[in-house]
Amino acid sequence: MSAPILLENPLRQGLFSDRVPQPCSLVIYGASGDLTHRKLVPALFDLYEKHLLPSSFCLIGISRSKMSDAEFKAKLKDSLKKSEPQLSDSLWESFSQNFHYLAGSYDDRSAYEALARRLDQVDRENGTAGNRIFYLSTPPNVFGDIVENLGLAGLNREDKGFSRVVIEKPFGHDLESAKALNVKVKETFKERQIYRIDHYLGKETVQSLLVMRFANSIFEPIWDRRYVDHVQITASEDLGVGTRAGYYDSSGVLRDMFQNHLFQVMCLIAMEPPVAFEANAIRDEKLKILKAIRPFNEDTVYQWAIRGQYGPGFLAGEKVPGYLQEEGVPPGSFAPTYAALKIFLDTWRWHGVPFLLRSGKRMPKRTTEVAIQFKEPPNLLFKNNLVNLAPNLLVVRIQPDEGITLKFETKVPGMSMEARTVNMDFRYGTAFAEGSSEAYERLLLDCMLGDATLFIRGDEVEAAWEALMPVISLWETTPPEHKFPNYEAGTWGPPDADNLLEKPWRKWRRL
Amino acid sequence: MTVSAQQIEKDLTDLWREGPDDKTKGLGLQRVYTTNLVAFAPDHVEGYRVEQILNDLAEKHPGRYILIRPAADSTEPPLRHYVMGHCFFGAGKEKRVCCDIIKLVAQKEVIENLYGFTFSLLLPDLPVEFWWPGDLPYENPFFERMATQSNRVWVDSTKFKDPVRSLARLSTFWDSRFPHTLLMDLNWIRVQRWRSLIAELFDGQWSGYLRDVRKVSIAYGEGSPATRGFFLACWLASRLGWKYQGERITTFPPQLDFEGPKGKVEVVLQPVPVQDAKRDRIFAVGLVTDGDPSGVFTVVRDQDPHCVIAQSEIDKKPAFSRTVSFEHFHSNEVLNSGLKNLRPDPGWDKTLKMAGTILAKPDLTKA
Repeated sequence: MSAPILLENPLRQGLFSDRVPQPCSLVIYGASGDLTHRKLVPALFDLYEKHLLPSSFCLIGISRSKMSDAEFKAKLKDSLKKSEPQLSDSLWESFSQNFHYLAGSYDDRSAYEALARRLDQVDRENGTAGNRIFYLSTPPNVFGDIVENLGLAGLNREDKGFSRVVIEKPFGHDLESAKALNVKVKETFKERQIYRIDHYLGKETVQSLLVMRFANSIFEPIWDRRYVDHVQITASEDLGVGTRAGYYDSSGVLRDMFQNHLFQVMCLIAMEPPVAFEANAIRDEKLKILKAIRPFNEDTVYQWAIRGQYGPGFLAGEKVPGYLQEEGVPPGSFAPTYAALKIFLDTWRWHGVPFLLRSGKRMPKRTTEVAIQFKEPPNLLFKNNLVNLAPNLLVVRIQPDEGITLKFETKVPGMSMEARTVNMDFRYGTAFAEGSSEAYERLLLDCMLGDATLFIRGDEVEAAWEALMPVISLWETTPPEHKFPNYEAGTWGPPDADNLLEKPWRKWRRL
Repeated sequence: MTVSAQQIEKDLTDLWREGPDDKTKGLGLQRVYTTNLVAFAPDHVEGYRVEQILNDLAEKHPGRYILIRPAADSTEPPLRHYVMGHCFFGAGKEKRVCCDIIKLVAQKEVIENLYGFTFSLLLPDLPVEFWWPGDLPYENPFFERMATQSNRVWVDSTKFKDPVRSLARLSTFWDSRFPHTLLMDLNWIRVQRWRSLIAELFDGQWSGYLRDVRKVSIAYGEGSPATRGFFLACWLASRLGWKYQGERITTFPPQLDFEGPKGKVEVVLQPVPVQDAKRDRIFAVGLVTDGDPSGVFTVVRDQDPHCVIAQSEIDKKPAFSRTVSFEHFHSNEVLNSGLKNLRPDPGWDKTLKMAGTILAKPDLTKA
């Protein structure tokens, strides 16, 4: 890792914005794509506005389309204006002064040699000190080629400064392809140079899970099988597949949401305290959880995994088409747009506690949350008076309206012994009255700083695929038991998902 | 009617039960408190200004705010109270978030002993911030007790009638008198962005130039004390290991001389003519280095009033330039920025200590 900038510049010490990275160049492959325009450049601009972008910084965009630097910058400016309508010309000029563009095919070796020369030139002219980040925001089928060619051009070497590669999801299509990609990437880059992005980990509330669990002492004693009845993790979307039918139909909800986002959130909830707040210590603990997932077999896939696909319905009062009616979806497709899994973690702490994970498209609203439901008190003193006591719940809302709610019972004022569930509510938006940073902003900064804590290690990716493959394989080779579509757009998924709950006091949360 | 803490709490409960205004009546409100903030205003004009600032601040730091000001004349009752709800839409716009402001108006002699009453109104387990906008009092029991019980005291050296003397006092007595209470100056927060921009000029390969700084010029608005410029000078000196070489000062001089690692360093405080409203601002900071090659590092306000330009020239050739947004910070935004961090600010402590080596030693026995 490069030396922190603080050590070199005494004027930085004592400033609250002290997480300022070393000078560097950021090379974005797929620079004409949606992610660059909609997420990466706005995130860089936010860092710039917060004085968190290094003073010597250069961006080189690469894609197949031919364009000049000026055309590239004009397109980025147009996109940025959507999120920053007040953007002034002088501010834009200053922000983008070291933005460049190179057109090239991803398998053309000469393009990488040209890039190497350009980077050397940038180092000399802009003082970027030989530090390079290569961000792969391309279709996944070219990740391997790009990484290999970067290596052949010597751009993986760290003799002058650091060299890091950021790889967007999906990292592989299944276990085999993920392993193959890991092998390919590791032939060129060392694991410490590889930053596999899952943007969920850049979300403020996801990071706050770590603080909630390990900076407070009140949760740890009850954070296990003795007190927790079950854990529900939900990531629902109100949108359909939109223009992504091509990708989505071959991926489905398990690859799109479970293998990465939901499994990562589950790891943060379930993992043991790491020995240090340091990338590998945290990733070691997450890996243990992924490896502790009780393997699915054919029987348990039927028992513990429910799939669904949305049919036509109504959202916000408007009629919306079913999955099979969406543009680009092959007729008769049985790609799941909804899944619910019951996962058991074979660890001392979580033995017998089901983790109920669900995610789906075209559900009533977009929301992501974790709900930890506690067991009922061992001796119900009030059972003659109070019949409808609700279980205690600790809910961590990841998006939107980030916050934490504790639900507990309290007595209703009056002469009779009646109880009602009340919420103790913490909301980031009200307590701190300022918006959280965008996930990409945080992740780009961390990558520049060499902090891989919020990135996924290669063995984590493989363990997640390994746990999920039996379900994916069975679902891809056998048609659903109940004919698709089996849930209406605008509802909370197929009724079969209730079969996972097992006990009468367990219910899927209505969010 | 006698004013009691119980009465005030009851008034607040009634207020929240009904909703603080017609628009909120019957709506689900969420009361949020992240801090206690006690503000003292020396007169009713300042009281009005402080109240406005607290109203604006509430949306960023909802809390229990207590504003204390003297009665306008001696015919008013010894102590009156007002409770006000302040509601706004929280992030996401779907929920009204509210906090409260308690205003206490009292005769001056009552205020001196109002600390116990104020303590009883503080919410437990939340930090206590005490904002004293004007000159610090001398042997004032209210100030002394409040400062002792607070986590942090906020002053504003822009409002000091004699900033040199007041800063000298602060640098001399604060730590010994209030060892457990942080002191912070809003004026220091106001120069935070300047410090950040100056620091940015020396990141990476440029950091080596810091050893060769020989001259610093700081342009500030003519007609106002050079307090902010002085802070920047002290901050640079404390960070770069410069030692003050001149006589102790009783007014801000046009030039301060330091001994740096490679010899004399001049800091010129240069007044520039400006409109009244902008008088107390910094306009430009320049650092000149005399190594080989030489360098000029500047942060100047742009023609676009919303931007500043940070740039450097090495060997008379442009080396670096960056334009950044620089919206004017209103007082509530300055306070908001300062309240975000609860931890001590070592940069401020060192700057104030450096100031203490430059300013004439105060006579602590006199008001």
